[in-house]
Amino acid sequence: MKRIAFALLALAFVAASLSAQAPVVPELKGKTVEITIWTHEDVNRTAIEKRYIDEFTKANPGVKVNYVTYPSGKIKDIVTAGFAAGNGPDIFNLEIFDAYPFLAEGFVAPVDLKASGYKSYKDIEAKYVSGMLAPVVEGGKVYGLPLELTNWALFINRKMFRAAGLDPEKDWPKTWEEVRSVSEKIAKRDGQILLRRGFDFRYPYYLTSVVPMVEQLGGELVSKDGKKVAVGDAAWLKVFEYFRDFGPNGRNLGSPTYTAARKAFDLDKDEIAMSLSGLYQIPRLKAANPAFYDSKEWMVVPFPQWKDAKKVVPNNYYGHYYMVSSQEPKLQQQASWALVSYMLSHGEEYLEQVGIVQPTKALMESAAFKAMPYSDVFAKDLAKAHIVYYGASSTKIDALLKEAFESVMLSGVEPAKALEKLRKSMAEALADE
Amino acid sequence: MRKPSIPKRPLELAFFVLARLVVAGAAALILVPLAFMLSASFMPASDIVSIPYRWIPDGLRWKNYLQALAGNDGSWLYARNVLNSLVVAGAVAATTVAISASVGYGFAKFRFRGRNLAFMAVMATMMIPFETVMVPLYLVVVRLGFQDSYLGLILPFMASAFGVFLMRQYLLGFPDDIVDAARIDGCSEWRIFRSIVLPSIGPASATLAVLAFRQQWDNLLWPLLVVQREEMKTIPAYIVKFAAEKSADEGAMMAVAVIASLPVFILFITLSKYFLGGSAVFAAGKE
Amino acid sequence: MKRASGMEGKRARWGWVFVAPGLLFFSLFSWYPIVNAFVTSFTNRKLISLKAPKFVGLQNYVRVLSSEDFWNSARATAVFAVGAFVPLLLLSLLFAALIVSLRGWKRPAQMALYSPAVLSSVVAALIWLVVFDPRGLANQGLNALFGTPGVDRRWLADATMAQVSTIVVYVWKYVGYFTILFVTGMGKIPDAVNEAALIDGAGPFRRFFSITLPLIRPTTVLVSVMILIQCMKTFSTQYLFVQSGAPTGPIEVMTLAIYNTAMRDLAIGRASAMSMLLFAVMLLLSWLQLRASRGGEDAL
Repeated sequence: MKRIAFALLALAFVAASLSAQAPVVPELKGKTVEITIWTHEDVNRTAIEKRYIDEFTKANPGVKVNYVTYPSGKIKDIVTAGFAAGNGPDIFNLEIFDAYPFLAEGFVAPVDLKASGYKSYKDIEAKYVSGMLAPVVEGGKVYGLPLELTNWALFINRKMFRAAGLDPEKDWPKTWEEVRSVSEKIAKRDGQILLRRGFDFRYPYYLTSVVPMVEQLGGELVSKDGKKVAVGDAAWLKVFEYFRDFGPNGRNLGSPTYTAARKAFDLDKDEIAMSLSGLYQIPRLKAANPAFYDSKEWMVVPFPQWKDAKKVVPNNYYGHYYMVSSQEPKLQQQASWALVSYMLSHGEEYLEQVGIVQPTKALMESAAFKAMPYSDVFAKDLAKAHIVYYGASSTKIDALLKEAFESVMLSGVEPAKALEKLRKSMAEALADE
Repeated sequence: MRKPSIPKRPLELAFFVLARLVVAGAAALILVPLAFMLSASFMPASDIVSIPYRWIPDGLRWKNYLQALAGNDGSWLYARNVLNSLVVAGAVAATTVAISASVGYGFAKFRFRGRNLAFMAVMATMMIPFETVMVPLYLVVVRLGFQDSYLGLILPFMASAFGVFLMRQYLLGFPDDIVDAARIDGCSEWRIFRSIVLPSIGPASATLAVLAFRQQWDNLLWPLLVVQREEMKTIPAYIVKFAAEKSADEGAMMAVAVIASLPVFILFITLSKYFLGGSAVFAAGKE
Repeated sequence: MKRASGMEGKRARWGWVFVAPGLLFFSLFSWYPIVNAFVTSFTNRKLISLKAPKFVGLQNYVRVLSSEDFWNSARATAVFAVGAFVPLLLLSLLFAALIVSLRGWKRPAQMALYSPAVLSSVVAALIWLVVFDPRGLANQGLNALFGTPGVDRRWLADATMAQVSTIVVYVWKYVGYFTILFVTGMGKIPDAVNEAALIDGAGPFRRFFSITLPLIRPTTVLVSVMILIQCMKTFSTQYLFVQSGAPTGPIEVMTLAIYNTAMRDLAIGRASAMSMLLFAVMLLLSWLQLRASRGGEDAL
């Protein structure tokens, strides 16, 4: 009798674990907890994460999860207002340079080891490719788990290259000088109005994508000791001039006011031949334009370098980390970390369905990663890249860069003047920290 | 008085013709972007920025409207969001009229200590840019526990300084004799307000209601802050979200814009008297 | 007026009864936030911080008033306010005068002019962003008009043009609204007055400048105060334009600068100081405007 009961129990246990693979969190037994997630909109990711949440709440019936998405351009303000009013979410993610101020101000709780199934913080660090957790490690504790780490590479439309008399396999631009000369060959205009662009930048991501251009020439955003800003006049001025030359006051090859480059790229309507984006653009391209995706008329090449670069600096990678609010009761924090770890345990599915990379050693070595088209291009660049600048005033600095570069590119401000102003405002911003 | 329909003096005739030309030209120019919205809403994205722009789309691309309604994630929440906008704007219009009428009446027809100070203090709130008080206001609503609800969307806009001003102006012109006569007849103050004053402020109420409705219909920042659930969002929040999504194409975006504008345009056409009656109330004040 | 003092007291109480619910509302949702902002403006409070804010006296005001960015946004607001105020006032007066002279097509003309005002600003910005695209209607229209094919007027890309573009959108949206206010004001002028002038041989211009304009003075004062207040509070057009790639500096009006200082730089103390300055300027301007014209006494 006892035996049968035991067998039945065992069977029930197995059945339960088959239907919902999510772990049962002992601390949550018999308790009711409501947790809220605020995350940016991404249709594909929402779909799989909602499924993980279902599985998790089935295994832990006391937990209720509110999953809320916001436009990526708005979420930062909303999280800010939420925390300011003491009404923040339990779980949230922002680009690291937007999220870091929250960490610095103490709004973020360290990973709950037990709830998320780790033995130690070292154990977590060991799971990820080295350096990938750097922004969220403080005093030996880990304050966030990577949802995605992304670097950008150059997407190329082969057809448009050929139409311009170029051989995409040979003539794809390796240097910024070539980006410009190839763009000249592809661009088509009606007077001053661009009908077809060769390349265009991804505005307004200056921290991520333009600072590396400066660094290639030996310049720096902030010096190592943190005392000097916008270091290396020659490097900065050269990049400023490149933007002026690229924009409507110069050779008129592109401008922030045209359709976003990667959107136009996916549509393949003879509008733009090159754009910058991450690995995640590939599933999006597939969804937006399956015919173009299947035609294999596109390819991805490394982030360009200057001809006389002093060092190789690929596009900065930036990260989204899932973070948990320190302002909520312990139980809610535990439930949150348990859920985050459960969701993030599906690294391969995130990669295949959404095209986002969680930089675990396992995933980077996996067959799934290698099977992604052009993942090797991204991986090679990533190995040489460093993370985007983050700090208590990184959001402000990003805005200052946008202002400086666009004042040169669009408003005819002299590069030297723009640099001087940038330096002054940046120093002021850092002094406020 | 009826003037002859066509003036005879040359200068008058020239003016007569010119007036019509200028007004027609201005009206046409002002309507161009609206016509553009409608025409582009039936086009694929690439036709919208074609040179030269062809006003008549090649066939009606209803797919844009389907995508607008379904959303990029296929959640079909737009109709619900339109409904939310109607509920919120409607409720705000109703409460604004009620509160403004009461306060305006108090200011216009009673003398009490601190009246002028209170009135100036109310008027001064007209000068407050919303962005200035957004964060403290959000704190208030969170403390009251009204975030993510209709109440949170409606409450902060339930009355407007402009509404109070409008009602006071209007009621200043309301004859004191009528009120005094009612008092002599033994009517209570409340009864006077309800059965004599309220029925007489129809035009002002309608104008104010339309104004308040329009303002809420337009409100973007506040709903973004206060509402979290998709199904509680209002139209402007939906639009910003739709436009921000990377796969949104301009044709569908214009379809979203058309759908967002339809309900107000229907209101506008059916209630044009009140929309245009705009300032009947201004001139009705004390003169 | 003769009233017994007992009656007076009772009536006064009733006055408060009618006013009180509204005042409660304003105290919670308008005065409290503004007082809160006023107090905050003297502290070093950060928007997200677990530390208690410290009192810093006038430091925020000193910092704001000595910063280049603040004066740039003051300039941007002034340019926008004047740039939109003048055409709005003149055009709406002109259109109103013309519309009043129309007979049959009055209503449709008013409706056409008014229609952009019923659109939400987000929709308006959505439309105009496509119109201002370098390949869009704005360039095409002007190039067809002036016979200058292929000229890109850089509606959003150029510093000056970005300011012009925000003004264009604003005037487009609100000119009809203010026209209607003037039409109603002019409608109050007795026909007999105009008729007498007509018989005296006064032309349309004489009639406008010597009859209409003086008679609608209260409306003019009121409408111009409204326009000015509205223009100084402008936010969404600039906000959406900057988000779509327009350069920030030229159109970073005060409200946008306040928003950025609070939400991006998280310096709510400094943002509050900026708010107080803007608030003070708006109060001062409206007061001056009302004082400057004697008609103002009638309008308020």
